[in-house]
Amino acid sequence: MNSSTFAFLDEDAKKEIRRSLLKAVAIPGYIVPFASREMPVARGWGTGGLQITLSIIVESDTLKVIDQGCDGSVNAVNIRDFITSVTGVESSNETSAATLIQTRHRIPEEKLKDNQILVYQVPYPEVLTTVEPDTAKQKQMHGDGDYSKLWVLLYEDTSQYGDSRISNRYPVLVNKHYVMDPSPIPKYDIPVMNNNSALQLFGAGREKRIYAIPPYTDVRPLKFDDREFKVENFSGIACERCGATDVFFDEVRRGNKSSFFCSDTAFCDAQLEKNNAA
Amino acid sequence: MLLDVCNVSKIYGPSCNRCLDLTGSEANRAICPVCNSIVAINSINLTAEHNEILGIVGESGSGKSTLLQLIYQDISASSGTIFFNGLQNDRGTPLNILDLPPSMVSRLKNKEMSMIYQNPRLGLNFLFSAGGNIAERIIGSGERRYEEIRKGSLDYIDRIEMDSSRIDDYPEEFSGGQQQRIQIAKALSSSPKLLLLDEPTTGLDVSVQAKILDLIKELQQEMGFSMIIVSHDLGVINHLTDITVVMKHGTLVEYGLTDQILEDPQHPYTQLLVSSIL
Repeated sequence: MNSSTFAFLDEDAKKEIRRSLLKAVAIPGYIVPFASREMPVARGWGTGGLQITLSIIVESDTLKVIDQGCDGSVNAVNIRDFITSVTGVESSNETSAATLIQTRHRIPEEKLKDNQILVYQVPYPEVLTTVEPDTAKQKQMHGDGDYSKLWVLLYEDTSQYGDSRISNRYPVLVNKHYVMDPSPIPKYDIPVMNNNSALQLFGAGREKRIYAIPPYTDVRPLKFDDREFKVENFSGIACERCGATDVFFDEVRRGNKSSFFCSDTAFCDAQLEKNNAA
Repeated sequence: MLLDVCNVSKIYGPSCNRCLDLTGSEANRAICPVCNSIVAINSINLTAEHNEILGIVGESGSGKSTLLQLIYQDISASSGTIFFNGLQNDRGTPLNILDLPPSMVSRLKNKEMSMIYQNPRLGLNFLFSAGGNIAERIIGSGERRYEEIRKGSLDYIDRIEMDSSRIDDYPEEFSGGQQQRIQIAKALSSSPKLLLLDEPTTGLDVSVQAKILDLIKELQQEMGFSMIIVSHDLGVINHLTDITVVMKHGTLVEYGLTDQILEDPQHPYTQLLVSSIL
């Protein structure tokens, strides 16, 4: 595809998004509105993440795009093809080789480094929507740090089901002030956000919102002082393809039998290669 | 002294410098003849001591509920000062709670003061269970241990003489009188210093009214907090309060011991009120 400017967006659009990003990084966890341009894919298909990626990408970057941990899914492939075609940057499946990683619903298994940026695609940026539909009141609650309504949800789940029922989009407290929606990553990935070396950027194209977690920021799940934060339990499970343990698994059901595979396909490939070499 | 209301006024409309002089009980109107502003509250002075129960009576439109809402800061005052519970800044100067920053206002409303509304829908969150509603206030006052929150909720469910098995039911599933009890439990669960009640039993069955008034009185004696009760029902005032103030056209026309006011009213309006009801 031929584009008149580098990275599809015009320079004014990129400048506006970068300004929002700067504000978001300056106030960790705070939701910043941005204009959200029309993209050649429908809103709700990763346009928030796409616009952030296009605004910050440079020629020397190496791009990786994953969807649910997978480099090969249709959405990931199409977004990667689009970005490489309008920028000419290199792409890679290898997490450690990438400098810019756009993701939906997962954080790569491999530990990220401080020269890497992780861009999340976000469907619902406002964590308070479930308990307070009024946007003016939401802003007030964020300003006051008043998250008691979210705590009540946690209380109700604990009293009626023994623990929180939230499996993904688990609310996190960022830098001891703002509570934010981490996008629909599994609970498994929540501890990885804390004190992460990489810069984490969040874009919601349909909702026109951007927020961020700077590197090495304190990120904690909301939990009661006398309760443990429990992530998905995969004890005794190994990947059927590469044999990895202690990773986040995809469950594939065939008849009555469940098979488990690494959700992070690049990690799985690397493990397999290591096994074959040995 | 717990509460000190000095010269508080609330004017709706453009307001001019003669509003306060040209309205009130002596002028026998609440609408300023010069600028047509509505003077809902006209230079009110009021104090409440610890453990004191204060009643406010008056005809509808006299400003009773408005005064309560000003103290609870559901609405903002046009002028005046309110001091509460010796609250002062770092230099020891008393703080006017009408000028507090929003974060301090919400702390005041979450912990030190509580309001019970005539309509349970204003005081309760119908999306949360009975226990959740009570928990919201306990959480709002700073508790983050699940067991303590649960214990507190159960304790207050017990105090309002409700079966503890109903703690996880939703307000929708309770009768009007029960909803009012839950509202009381919620309001008291943060152990407030001041409880504001706006027509707490209006619209309830007479037998239920009596039970709720007894409950409020018992809890007040047991826990020790001050109350301000707005009612147009002199029976309620007689049953509960130590001191009564009478309001007309936004001003106080009489202030005294409840017995005295009901037995020997001085102001012509109070005489009319007492003779027409008792």
